[in-house]
Amino acid sequence: MSVKVEVIEGGVPHNTILIAGVVSTLVCIYLTYLNVVTQTEMFSFFGGLAVVAALVWGSHTIKVLCSYGIGTGVPSAGMIAFGSGVIAMLLATRVTNLLLAPVVALILAAIIGLILGWVSNNVLNMKIPAMVQALTEMAVVGALSLMGFAALITGTFGFSGLTTGTVSMFGITLLTHTNSFLGGCLIAVAFLLGAIAIQHPFNACLGPGWTQDRMLMLTAECAFLSMIVAAIMSLALISAGSALISLVIAIIGWAFTYKEYMALSKRDAHSWLDSKPIPDVEGH
Amino acid sequence: MSAVAAKPAAGGAMNPGAMAVGIILTLILVGICYVMSPGVGLMALIGVVIGGILIGFGTHFVPVGGAPAAMGQAPGIATGVAMLATGAGVAGLFGGAWAAETLPATMDPMMQLLIVVCAGGVGGGLMMAITCMMVNFLYVFGMGIPPASGKVANDPITGDSQAEYKSQGTEGHGLPFVSFVGGVIGGTLGGAGGTLIYFELLNLYQGALPDVMNVTAAQVLPIAVSLAGMFAVGLFLVNAVLTAYNITGTIEGPHDPKFKRWPRSIVASAVASALCGLCAVLIVVPLPI
Repeated sequence: MSVKVEVIEGGVPHNTILIAGVVSTLVCIYLTYLNVVTQTEMFSFFGGLAVVAALVWGSHTIKVLCSYGIGTGVPSAGMIAFGSGVIAMLLATRVTNLLLAPVVALILAAIIGLILGWVSNNVLNMKIPAMVQALTEMAVVGALSLMGFAALITGTFGFSGLTTGTVSMFGITLLTHTNSFLGGCLIAVAFLLGAIAIQHPFNACLGPGWTQDRMLMLTAECAFLSMIVAAIMSLALISAGSALISLVIAIIGWAFTYKEYMALSKRDAHSWLDSKPIPDVEGH
Repeated sequence: MSAVAAKPAAGGAMNPGAMAVGIILTLILVGICYVMSPGVGLMALIGVVIGGILIGFGTHFVPVGGAPAAMGQAPGIATGVAMLATGAGVAGLFGGAWAAETLPATMDPMMQLLIVVCAGGVGGGLMMAITCMMVNFLYVFGMGIPPASGKVANDPITGDSQAEYKSQGTEGHGLPFVSFVGGVIGGTLGGAGGTLIYFELLNLYQGALPDVMNVTAAQVLPIAVSLAGMFAVGLFLVNAVLTAYNITGTIEGPHDPKFKRWPRSIVASAVASALCGLCAVLIVVPLPI
């Protein structure tokens, strides 16, 4: 049986993925600002696409870091990414000029990640060459993914937009703080949706048979799955039509990446059997 | 090199120069907080740093077994350091948050802090005690293995000898008495630390957010609780993972030789908590941009 391996060990260099990840994530987050320009909420789905781009980059960073065998399990890398990311993201939303928020989140997260990386390598004596860069990148990924989720769910990424919602009562629209991204603690759900999606792909694909395109496709699949849940949550905060646009895009993205991932898994597998969930026992 | 074949790289050695730099860095971060937000903000940051140190130190007591423990080849609870530390801390945080809700507002603030932190400690300790007990039930009655330590000849508390019960080719298995006690101590410290972070930040936000957002204290409560909770969880995860990096893999409890690495973890937790805590404090300070 001939095995066709299209991508060799290593595949696309990490720096290419890093640059593509930063640029596409920032562009997608800024595209949600079209909501403000056009006075609609139709462009919130770009927040979800930012999450997908950031997570694809982040899962490859986890691969770079965890290839050294840090002895703590892969999920811990996802946890520190979002733990440091949420702190940078929340502070960055506070800037007065809304357009600066994503860049401030990036810079702030990079500073936090840099110091955490230095602490791990020097104070804790980890001595892992990729540590500082990987923790810096992961903090940025965590911060930008959460900002993407915030933009997807609320249509904006400023502090006032995240803390204020509206509630209709007897036909009158009232401002409320409970019905918002922060006040309703939707951020906690977004946090774990991202943290699970970032750590799962490498945890599932690691080993001698690891291939880059399969892992990244699984990341995209997990990210779109998270986007489906976040799009459903966004029904509570933005108009139903805009939320449905996000939901349809998420479902299409998920279905496509799932199909592609299954095809890549079958390509990498030695052989497979299409078994049914409930075996047909007739005739026995 | 794949992650399966690789070995943890960290050794037990201390790096005095880096630790000194770490302490200075912590002081600088606290100093920035003093300039930006003296008074309430500084108090909150000091509380956060103490809480972070408690989490980092407490986690060293918890018997963490990882994957080998799941196969009965190493003592401890069969999951990673980060998960156990987070579990104890979040369980404690719920206990402390519940206590903070029920206290009368007229009570002395110091007394409030004491009650809330104790409630959080009890919550974390209880969670860890239940986990340790059920883990031992599963080991003894489910897998049929006796608890035995691989690191010491006699249990430091009960004095029972361990070698007879240890299977060949393993590092011990199950949870010996000393590990159980260590787990409860670790859970208590972690829960108290997590609650201290949450309570200090909650007080800060309840006091300062109404002015920042131009709303009443009652309206700001959900935002304050959510912000304090998210920052507490973020700080918790950062501290838990840094401690996991310090332990690298498994630890049996306070009798394990790896326990001696705790000074490194305290410095690391202090730097990380001061850094993240500073961000948490700055959210209520008017920013220049």
